Amino acid sequence: MASKGKVLVIDDDPDFCEFMRIGLESDGFEVLTAANGKIGLELMRREKPNLVFLDVVMAHPTEGVDVTAMIKEDPELWDIPIIMLTSIMDTEYIGHFPTDKPLPIDQFLTKPVPMAEVLRIANETVGAKS
Amino acid sequence: MIDLHPLKLELVERISWLIRLRWVAVASTLAGIAVARLVEPALPVLPLVLVTATIAFYNALFVLYARSLWRRRGTGLRRRRSPTFIAVQIVLDLLALTALLHFSGGIENPFGVFLLFHVIIASILLSRLASFGVALLASTLYAGLAFSELAGWLPHIHLPQLADPWRYANLIYVAAQVTAIALTLLPAAAMASSVAERLRRRTQELLQANQVCEINRSELADVNERLRQLDAARTQFIVMVAHELRAPMGAIISALNLVLGGYAPPEKQREVLERAQARAYELLDLIRDLLELVRARRIEGPAQGVPVRTEKVLENVLGLLRVEAESKGLSIEVKVAPDLPPVIATEDQLRSVWTNLISNAIKYNRPGGRLTITLTQDGDQVVGAVEDTGIGIAREDMPRLFEEFFRSTQAKAMVQRGTGVGLAIVKRTVESYGGRVWAESELGKGSKFSFSLPKAPDELATASLEDKQELS
Repeated sequence: MASKGKVLVIDDDPDFCEFMRIGLESDGFEVLTAANGKIGLELMRREKPNLVFLDVVMAHPTEGVDVTAMIKEDPELWDIPIIMLTSIMDTEYIGHFPTDKPLPIDQFLTKPVPMAEVLRIANETVGAKS
Repeated sequence: MIDLHPLKLELVERISWLIRLRWVAVASTLAGIAVARLVEPALPVLPLVLVTATIAFYNALFVLYARSLWRRRGTGLRRRRSPTFIAVQIVLDLLALTALLHFSGGIENPFGVFLLFHVIIASILLSRLASFGVALLASTLYAGLAFSELAGWLPHIHLPQLADPWRYANLIYVAAQVTAIALTLLPAAAMASSVAERLRRRTQELLQANQVCEINRSELADVNERLRQLDAARTQFIVMVAHELRAPMGAIISALNLVLGGYAPPEKQREVLERAQARAYELLDLIRDLLELVRARRIEGPAQGVPVRTEKVLENVLGLLRVEAESKGLSIEVKVAPDLPPVIATEDQLRSVWTNLISNAIKYNRPGGRLTITLTQDGDQVVGAVEDTGIGIAREDMPRLFEEFFRSTQAKAMVQRGTGVGLAIVKRTVESYGGRVWAESELGKGSKFSFSLPKAPDELATASLEDKQELS
């Protein structure tokens, strides 16, 4: 089966990466995973994915946010759609966000996201781009 | 210090007040003489002015003496000499007033009641006994003056405008006047000094009560601050626990969703469920940690344990943690002294002590670092220590290291997740068996955590070993 598109999952939780891989692959996507922002950026530059799922809170509370900033500064990467995922649920962590500027992301989802929702978004976003 | 006591200080201030009052008295007397002379031409002005001048003279001396006394600050001299100084002044004043009265008609002069002032001043400034003394002296001087004039020992100066020329010679009148004066002065001394004394006592009590209040207030503020910090830490802890619970819970839900929704191909389903199971165990571990902390917090007094071999428990724990250490490239060195006696504890608790200390040493070590674990005997104590080559602990964080929920700045920077509970459990557990925990550290170089536990009593130790042999 031909790949519907390349999806990159950046998350420091290996289980979460694996579950995303299994779900997305079962729907015909090619899936790459990265355990941190640095590896994620390298993979983006090398593999040019069609869509990125990015976790906000990794080793540092704002690692995900920092990654988005670097993506949008890179002319080769800036048009790759980014879906931000988080398990943030209180204002204490939200306080880490740079509230003075809008986040350069396409959508913001709270974990756990039902796989149906993940696939719907992936199909819509990648379909619209290609 | 005592010299600055408010009551004593007041006495010192009152001396200045008394001296100022005397200047007023000198001026008033002179004015009084001038006015009286207009009314009564027979008034002998010269002796009266001379007496008044004497008052002014000794008051000037008092000023000088008071100044020299003020300068000797803090010697206690001021405090010791002040009452005597006041008494001397009052006695001189009484003598001077008696002289003035003598030269202005003796018993004919209605200003004899001025003696009352001196008694009241003495009551305010001196002790009750001293004020009685002053009242008695005043009465005696007045009686002495009146009777001396009556008897002719002192010349009587008659003021014709003021009184009947022979009044001073009327025994009944003199006796009545002297009695009236004495009966005024003595009760006045009693009343004024009792009021003054009560005031002094009240002031003293108020001052003491104030001091107690001040102490209580600062103690309460301390307690309040500690409670506030503890409460803030608890709240933070609950938030942290919620985050910690949410991560594995989210993973488990994602796994179930994957399988139940049919997104996982059949050959992947088992793997997904196994991962979910592992996360469920992770949740369980976290809950166990929390319960352990709660249990350790509840133990009051010495805990009940059995003889346990520390080195065996260490071996088990190392078996579980070795993989984690090696994945970080750490080299582990274990030095266990031979023939260690067992300690009194439970195996579970001892395992938790070792696990917490060793997993900390792994977590906060630098990649490729060293881990040294030693177990020795020191007298009747078994001493365990875990040394790492990690981030170390800042000096200011050391005292709070074993507090519940506390995590050092370096620890937070290095590993985001952590409950701050591990070392608190270690401390509570070890101390509940009569042991001790301590830490040494150098920032950036590494840390060493040690604990000591008393060895099991010999008869218990042998009994338990025999049990084991029978079993095997």
